[in-house]
Amino acid sequence: MIILIEMAAIAVHQFADCITCHAWSPDQSMLALCPNNNEVHIYKLVEEKWERIHVLQKHDQIIVGIDWSKSSNRIVTVSHDRNSYVWNEEGSVWVPTLVILRLNRAALCVQWSPKGNKFAVGSGAKTVCICYYEQENNWWVSKLIRKRHDSSVTSVAWHPNNVLIATTSTDGKCRVFSTFIKGVDAGKPKKSGSGSLDAKFGEQIVQLDLSFCWAFGVKWSPSGNSLAYVGHNSMIYFVDQVGPSPLAQSVVLRDLPLRDVMFVSEKLVIGVGFDCNPMVFAADGTGLWSFVRFLDEKKAASSSGRSQFTEAFGKFYGSSKQGTSNDRGRAGVHDNCINCIVPLKKSETAKMTSFSTSGLDGKVVIWDLKNQEDLLEYL
Amino acid sequence: MKPTLAQLVERRTVVGAVILRSLVRIRQGSSVRLYLTCIRNTLEAAMCLQNFPCQEVERHNKPEVEMKTSPELLLNPVVICRNEAEKCLIETSINSLRISLKVKQADELENILTKKFLRFLSMRAEAFEVLRRKPVQGYDISFLITNYHCEEMQKHKLIDFIVQFMEDIDKEISELKLSVNTRGRLVATEFLKQFI
Repeated sequence: MIILIEMAAIAVHQFADCITCHAWSPDQSMLALCPNNNEVHIYKLVEEKWERIHVLQKHDQIIVGIDWSKSSNRIVTVSHDRNSYVWNEEGSVWVPTLVILRLNRAALCVQWSPKGNKFAVGSGAKTVCICYYEQENNWWVSKLIRKRHDSSVTSVAWHPNNVLIATTSTDGKCRVFSTFIKGVDAGKPKKSGSGSLDAKFGEQIVQLDLSFCWAFGVKWSPSGNSLAYVGHNSMIYFVDQVGPSPLAQSVVLRDLPLRDVMFVSEKLVIGVGFDCNPMVFAADGTGLWSFVRFLDEKKAASSSGRSQFTEAFGKFYGSSKQGTSNDRGRAGVHDNCINCIVPLKKSETAKMTSFSTSGLDGKVVIWDLKNQEDLLEYL
Repeated sequence: MKPTLAQLVERRTVVGAVILRSLVRIRQGSSVRLYLTCIRNTLEAAMCLQNFPCQEVERHNKPEVEMKTSPELLLNPVVICRNEAEKCLIETSINSLRISLKVKQADELENILTKKFLRFLSMRAEAFEVLRRKPVQGYDISFLITNYHCEEMQKHKLIDFIVQFMEDIDKEISELKLSVNTRGRLVATEFLKQFI
C-alpha cells in the first residue's frame, strides 16, 4: 500500500526485506528490483497497487546491478555469479540472453550507455567490461579495460556523449576512460567540455586521487561537465572540467559515509548512504559546493520490537534485563542504509525533480523536490 | 569477649561484600559510562558494511576482516582502553566488523569466573548469531558482525546489544563473585561450627 507523506517523500512502498538495487521502465510504469537474492521482480502499478507481474530467474547468486535501457526497453542484470544477462520483452515474457563477460570474479555494477547500444560492467576482477551487440553473431561482445584498477570497481557512470565512462574503485580512485568502439560509435565524437575525446578504447583520460578510502557512486552532471563521487571516509568529491587539468572540491560530512549520489541539476546533488536519509548538496553562484540539509526531516523516535539478540539475552538471564535498552530508532522514511538512487524523469526536456531510493530496509521511496521551496533555486 | 573464628570469618566476608558492592556501584557510575559511550560511537561509525564478494577467490563471499586477503579492504583497527585490564578492539573491513573484548579480572576468582562464563556463552554462539566461537588472541570474547546481520537487523539494536552485553558481563561477574563468596562464607560457617 502507498502511504502519503507530507514531506519530500511522496510515496513509500515496502517491496521486500532488503533491496539491492532497482530500476524503472522507460515510461516509469514498471519497477524492476532485486530482493537481495538471485531474482529480479518486476512490479507494475495497477489501480494504485503494486502488482508483481514478472519474476526473472536465471542468475544463481545475488543480483547487484539492474539497469533498464531508456531507449530500447531492455533490462541488463549483473550478479555475483560473474554473469550478466540482457532481457528482451517478447510478447509477455522476458527472454534472457547471456552476455559472456569473460570475468573470473563477481560483477558489481552495471549501466547502459545513454544511447543504449553499450553497457559497462564493473567487477571484482579489477576490470571494467564494455559490452555491445554484434548483429552478425547475434550476441553481446564484451571488451575489457584491464590493468587499470588496483581493486574492485564499485560503480560505473556514462558520460552523456556515450563514449567516456567514469569508474570508482575500492582503491579510492576515480578514473575516466574512453570506450570508443569502432563500428558501434559512429565517427569520432565531437570535442566537448570534458577533455580530449580522440582517445582509443580503454585509454585513461584522468585519474582522480582524492580519497584515502574506498570510493563509490560516481555520477556525471547532466551536461557532462562535472562529476561527483563519494569516499567511505565521509567525504563527497565534486570535479569540474574533467580532463587533463580537473578542478576538484572535497566536502567533508559530519555524518556517516554515503553510498551513491545523483545530480538533479548542474547545481544540486543528492547523496544517499548509511545515514538512511538523503543529503542535499548545492553549488552557490561561484560554484562552491556545500551540504545544505537532510531531505527527510527527522521525527520523534518510535518504539518498536526488541531485536532478537536482546530477547535471546533476556532468555539467558531471566527477565531482569527487560526494558533496559533505550530505543533510539532513526525515524526517517528509510530505516536502514540507502544504497541506490535512481532519477525519475517524465520527458527528456522537462526538469528533473523527482527520484527514487531503495535500501537494505526493502523500501522504495519516491521523492519530489517540487514542494521544497529552499531548493527550487538550484533546480 | 573474643569473637569466635566463625564470627570472624563471617564479619570479614560481609564487610568484603559490602565494599565490593559499593565499588561496583562507583565503577558503574562514572568512567564505565564514558567507556561504553566511546565504544558505542565507534561502533556507530564502523558499522557501515555492505555486501562485497571476495576479490581473490572465485564465487566466494567471506568476511574480509577474517580472511584479510586484500589489505585495501581493511580499515585501521581501533583499540578503546579503559585500563590495562579492560579494553576493546574494533577491526573493520568493507563487509564485516570484529569486536573483541577484554573483561576486567581483578583477581584469580574473577579470572576463573570470566573464563568459565564466557566459555559457556561461546559454546552457545549460534544462539547469539554475532558471537564468535573463539576469541581473538589476547581477548576474552569476540563478536563478528557481517553485512548480512546489518541487512536482517537494525543497526542501533545490534550496537545496543553489544553495549548491553558489556554492561551485563561486568555485573554478572561481580554477582557471581558475590555469590561464590557468600557460599564460601556459609560453607565455612557450617564447617567451623563443629569446632565450637
